[in-house]
Amino acid sequence: MKFFSLLKKEIRELLTPTAFIGMICTLILFVVIGEAFGGIMEEVVDEASTYVICDQDKSDFSTQLIKTLTIIPESTESGKIEDIKYDIDRVKLIDIESDDYQAELKKHDVSSVLIIPKGFGDKAQKGEEVEIHNITLMSSGSMLSNISANDAAIETFKAQVKSLFYVNNGLSTDNIVKGETIVQVKDTTVIKDKSADISSSVVSSLLSTQSLFVPIVIFVLIIYCSQLIIGAISTEKIDKTFETLLSAPVTRISILSSKMLAAATIAALNAVVYMIGFSRMMNGIMGSVDDGGASSKVLEELGLTLTTSSYFLLGLQMFLTILITLAVSLILGALAKDAKSAQTLMMPITFLSMVPYMLTMFVDIRTLPIIVRLVVYAIPFTHTFIASENILFGHMNVYWAGFAYQLVLLVICLTVAVKIFTSDKILTMTLSFDKKSKAGKKKLKLFGK
Amino acid sequence: MEKVLEVTGLSKMYKKGIYAAKEVSFDVKKGEIFALIGPNGAGKTTTIRVIATLLTANEGDAIVNGHSILNEAEKVRENITYLPDEAGAYKTMTGKQYLEFMASIYTADKEKAKEFVKSGIEIAELGERINDKIGTYSRGMTRKLLLSRAVMSRPALAILDEPTSGLDILNALEIRRMIKRFASEGMSFLLSSHNMLEIEFVSDKVGIIAKGHILEVGTSAELKEKYSASNLEEVFEKVVKEANLHEELSEN
Repeated sequence: MKFFSLLKKEIRELLTPTAFIGMICTLILFVVIGEAFGGIMEEVVDEASTYVICDQDKSDFSTQLIKTLTIIPESTESGKIEDIKYDIDRVKLIDIESDDYQAELKKHDVSSVLIIPKGFGDKAQKGEEVEIHNITLMSSGSMLSNISANDAAIETFKAQVKSLFYVNNGLSTDNIVKGETIVQVKDTTVIKDKSADISSSVVSSLLSTQSLFVPIVIFVLIIYCSQLIIGAISTEKIDKTFETLLSAPVTRISILSSKMLAAATIAALNAVVYMIGFSRMMNGIMGSVDDGGASSKVLEELGLTLTTSSYFLLGLQMFLTILITLAVSLILGALAKDAKSAQTLMMPITFLSMVPYMLTMFVDIRTLPIIVRLVVYAIPFTHTFIASENILFGHMNVYWAGFAYQLVLLVICLTVAVKIFTSDKILTMTLSFDKKSKAGKKKLKLFGK
Repeated sequence: MEKVLEVTGLSKMYKKGIYAAKEVSFDVKKGEIFALIGPNGAGKTTTIRVIATLLTANEGDAIVNGHSILNEAEKVRENITYLPDEAGAYKTMTGKQYLEFMASIYTADKEKAKEFVKSGIEIAELGERINDKIGTYSRGMTRKLLLSRAVMSRPALAILDEPTSGLDILNALEIRRMIKRFASEGMSFLLSSHNMLEIEFVSDKVGIIAKGHILEVGTSAELKEKYSASNLEEVFEKVVKEANLHEELSEN
């Protein structure tokens, strides 16, 4: 009985309206991410099951080869192939007329193409080594944005050419090693107006250091700055040192601006530390790849290395984000009435940084469904998470639009902060859940005493 | 005698139609200790906060040393110090650093600031502990430090909200004596408390406040005589009961 009384009390203490809000926010977070991923996965699956081929050979062999890509075997329950059907929609044939791959792929609205060069059929028939050209247009470093059907097509081609080679030369499986080298793949990755003869998956791997580590650093930085200022304001409010300051012969604007300036100094320091750390990390990672500097050279060729101006733009973006975090945290900190509520007030910042943090790791935000994209773009922190990618992949319009949006948001947040600080609200505004006397319902009290 | 504070018809409304303080009027003369007494939620802290320029008045005014809280808030702040109820101090600072910081807020003159700090250290009587972090202080020590901060700049009016709340008898006595000493030197005090014995001991004049209204103003002796009471507690009980009765009658 005593134990159950204790248990009941503990549950009552823990299951507060704040905890409920946390649960609802978590639910919303996962639903939003699920929706976003659902849309993008559909596109990824669709893209990964469509082969984009440019048949410059136009021989019977190449035509037959392409036809094999459309085969859909129908099997019985036991797994035995019963029938074969053809789905011509699985192959999209396009013509590549020039070496300007970026323009060519954009013209056909595809992100990758396999080129079967002229003479491919003849060479294959003669048992000579053949080459196919795999071209990928990369516009993002996120994990799901660079999945294409080309790898599967290449494997099919290799298998087909290999069979033909075996048949023509009367070879057995003992010659499999020789067979492996029959089809050579020339990979070309195109980024903006630059290209390099390297597989997009290799470029993706090289970029994964950014898509995995950088968001973690940004996330930690946002949470750290937010905790810093919410803690500072709420402590002043709870300890009533704020009241002492506000009654001293100093203007409220001075108090606010000194807080903001101090916070901005720390923010700038954070941004500088962030950028130094980031460049060190990149140097360290690239330096540890013992390939005689080939990786760095390829990334440089593709314009995927950060220049001094890129670092400046990233630092600027980071500084702005930290300022927004601090301004929002100033407002949130003013709502705190005790240490517990100060902790609760961290929740919006945590959730608003978690959504873009998780999304940007996997998907290219620009490819999300319009509604989800707008919601994600409305989160100011999104623009920080995608800043380095925007700079690297040349989406400067997205970078500057995000920057302008953040700037406007900063002005709004600062205006609200000034209004709160120069009015009674700084002392009377709290975030609490008071019981309504009669109805017994809870309400969110934001303003007034 | 010269008035340091003159409060006239001061009202503060938090929600529409609900007044935390309604038409509050009283004055405090130079060297006088005026105490606002009342139950919890009576409007003491609200009245004090409005006078300390922390909150804006909806109606009425308060003149501090010739300056209105409505349009000369900064001038008012130059003439007052405010010690909130259960206030803390910056825990990472030492007691001395805290006094130095507050002195620099109250005066731009470095020499004057040094004098304030010297005086503050003397008043606080914390000995060597003044160089320790405030986070290591007991409640009584922190309160003494805060009180020394409130009086070290010799303001025209020191506003102290529940100056001895939560303190043990010895610390409370020390603080009461300190207040009396500074009042005798010409500093005026506006206190709030619900400790009637303390008020009777320390104050020159008392204002009884309930439900946002000032019900009575006078010296302890005057009020005791008027209500035929032996102490201020009895006076307070009678005044509040009378007010409740009036309210009930007017409602009916």
